[in-house]
Amino acid sequence: MNLKISALEFVQQVQDGNISAEDFVAKTMEQIHSVDEKLHAFLSVNENAINQARLIDKKIKSGDKVGACFGMPISIKDNMCIKNEKTTCASKMLENFISPYDATVITKLKQQDAIFIGKTNMDEFAMGLSTEFSAFGPSRNPWNPEYVPGGSSGGSAVSVSAFECVASLGSDTGGSVRNPASFCSVVGYKPTYGLISRYGLISYANSIEQIGPITRTVKDVAFMLNIIAGIDPNDNTTIDNKNEDYLSGIDSGIEGKKIGIITDMMTDGVDPSVLSATKDAISKLEGLGAICEEISIEMVKYSVAAYYTITATEAGSNLARYDNLRYGYDFSVEGYEFNSYISKAREKFGPEVTRRMIIGGFVPSAGHAGKYFLKALKVKSKLTKELDEAFKKFDLLVAPTVPILPFKIGEKINDPVSLFLVDINTVTANLTGKPAISIPYSISNGLPIGIQLFADSNQDKLLLQAAYALEQTVKLPEVPL
Amino acid sequence: MVTEEDIEHVSKLMKINVNDHAEYVDKVRAMINYFDILDSAGVESEEVSMQEISISKLREDKYIPFDEKLIEKLNHYKGTYVRAPKMSS
Repeated sequence: MNLKISALEFVQQVQDGNISAEDFVAKTMEQIHSVDEKLHAFLSVNENAINQARLIDKKIKSGDKVGACFGMPISIKDNMCIKNEKTTCASKMLENFISPYDATVITKLKQQDAIFIGKTNMDEFAMGLSTEFSAFGPSRNPWNPEYVPGGSSGGSAVSVSAFECVASLGSDTGGSVRNPASFCSVVGYKPTYGLISRYGLISYANSIEQIGPITRTVKDVAFMLNIIAGIDPNDNTTIDNKNEDYLSGIDSGIEGKKIGIITDMMTDGVDPSVLSATKDAISKLEGLGAICEEISIEMVKYSVAAYYTITATEAGSNLARYDNLRYGYDFSVEGYEFNSYISKAREKFGPEVTRRMIIGGFVPSAGHAGKYFLKALKVKSKLTKELDEAFKKFDLLVAPTVPILPFKIGEKINDPVSLFLVDINTVTANLTGKPAISIPYSISNGLPIGIQLFADSNQDKLLLQAAYALEQTVKLPEVPL
Repeated sequence: MVTEEDIEHVSKLMKINVNDHAEYVDKVRAMINYFDILDSAGVESEEVSMQEISISKLREDKYIPFDEKLIEKLNHYKGTYVRAPKMSS
């Protein structure tokens, strides 16, 4: 049984009767039990997955209608609700929280006969970019377990990279899908804001975050989008995508497309091997018939500060619900005064979440909002205008996904500002609502490098076509598990 | 420049115990000080753009029945009430 197949190959092989969903899921469970003690991609595993796959095989054999996933094992970041399953957000605060309902993406995948193989590790409440801030211990990079897998959807990227599932869903607030995809050499997609419903995604920074697929191929992203994208009455920020088919015409190529090279994302701080890979990718894009020219996006320099100011503000508001009365853990109210009880209960938050709550109280507060929050919103506005102008001239933009290679576990954890700057190439897509994708491009000293492409809002199909074209030029070594 | 007292004051308002000075006060101060870069962005005259949604496009404001008693999922409740600590000592 070959686990190293794409989602589309899985579907084809099950449809053709070459493999059964049950055998594939059983083998996937074996793989999880074999590698996950070392990699820690999962916070919980669905021990009923093989039985669920068997039921799908029965449907196939009896000629019943079967959903598009045909029993495909998919992992889900542990900040999306699956009814009657644990959703911990990798936090001690929600360690025993059982979701009372399904997120919309889960409902849609269930309707298409996906199997949720497990919930994946992440930075607590998605606040981080290395998965080191999980309250349950870090995930490790399958390319070198001494290195971080990126984050915050680190467990999702590890699970796809290490063949512990066929595809995964992560969430991307400032690069949390694209960053771990780049670090683990898989594909990570942040769609146009509103393309995928956030209903049932535990909120961090609602105005900019999106659920996004992490897969082995660009075509698999398109396959997943065909299932989970579209308008949702439970999320008023969703957009009507008119049931777009993202797979059709994905091989259209990029002949004649204009691509802007974002110079502000390729400055002196970029690792030389990342810079070299990006220049090589640009040559490949030109070889495919694209016209590449440099463009400066001035506000990129300020984007990280704006991003952290805005997200901390929204997080401060979102996390206010964790007072241990509505959500929380078993901790008696007896003998406590109201405020001291909540303060005591919040000691369960990890250090990064606690820091961001403090920042989230500080930057929008009276006397400080003008200096921080208002300016951050203005940077966001100006950055959006700059990108809108760029897309009048260019069809796509290109930059490295992350300016550096994966770093060692523990290397940056005590330097929050140094960690901030790892996000500098990814937050722009979130602040502006534009779609962006990370494509595995090369390996340097045994560590992966991803290339990022951006498109204008609602040009997700064009973006996938370009990503597919670039992906076809790349041949990478297998992950050394 | 943000001061230690500022951070301790906000922490109290956010109902957070700052019991580890290095983890919370020092690191938070470093993070907020980094945000000073926003002062040089030159965006003073920029308008803040907001996403507007017409009321007619919002979901109808009506009761949607849920098939389980959600209050029973809480750790502390009595009847139909959430059990909370007393408001003053």
